[in-house]
Amino acid sequence: MEETNTENIGCQSDGVQLTCFSEQSDGDVLLHFQIIRLQKQIYVWIGCNSASFGHLYAALPTRPSNAVGVTSLIGGSSDNTGFGIARRLVLKTGLNVVLACNLPKNNPMLEASAEKKLLQKLISLGYTKPQI
Amino acid sequence: MRSSDPAFPVRNTSLCLDINGHKTDIIISSYEDHILVIATQIGSMGTILQARKEGGVTSDPTYSISVVFGKRDEPMLIACARQLIEHISNSGSSKTLVLSLGLRDHSLGILKSIVSAVTEKLAEVI
Repeated sequence: MEETNTENIGCQSDGVQLTCFSEQSDGDVLLHFQIIRLQKQIYVWIGCNSASFGHLYAALPTRPSNAVGVTSLIGGSSDNTGFGIARRLVLKTGLNVVLACNLPKNNPMLEASAEKKLLQKLISLGYTKPQI
Repeated sequence: MRSSDPAFPVRNTSLCLDINGHKTDIIISSYEDHILVIATQIGSMGTILQARKEGGVTSDPTYSISVVFGKRDEPMLIACARQLIEHISNSGSSKTLVLSLGLRDHSLGILKSIVSAVTEKLAEVI
């Protein structure tokens, strides 16, 4: 698995950081990740082989409980591939997340792989907050 | 104000401008079938709208705009989305617009500035 590309483009104001990278996953799948960090929220796009936008979800921690509120915004709720990723991202990072993802459904291995790579990147970029 | 690496399948561009003393960050991303525009003054995505073009090749296009997250009672936001989807459509693209507006207020002047700034930048990524 090689990382082919990482770029960090800061807006002049430093209020926004944009990171894009692609990684090969098991099999012939090329995963693309785009992370836009705003001050209070993070937007992530996960692409599988294509640049299709996919379904959009919003997830955020619900204080004071440890639960996470997730909802599907675009794409309906029949395909919940991104739903689980968004939820677990918030559980592990405590961030307010908007996720767009075009991963195929019924492929839990790919889903887990994408989630893991994304999480590693978020941690290495220092975007994660301590556990809620 | 640079665009991302050409090898990455999504084209991005961003800019930062000052509107009435408020720092406004604008990010535009072009996917295969969608265009995402984020304009924020509050550090988060705020209200998210979706605008799509409908209508056949032979008839004039119609547009449908809906709020998918956030304020549903702000007609200015919908007007902003409509202006942008019309511009995208007139530029020859059939992509759906996902517009995120996190603004401190929703006055006409602010939205006009955003529409004109985004319209200018869209040319880079459509």
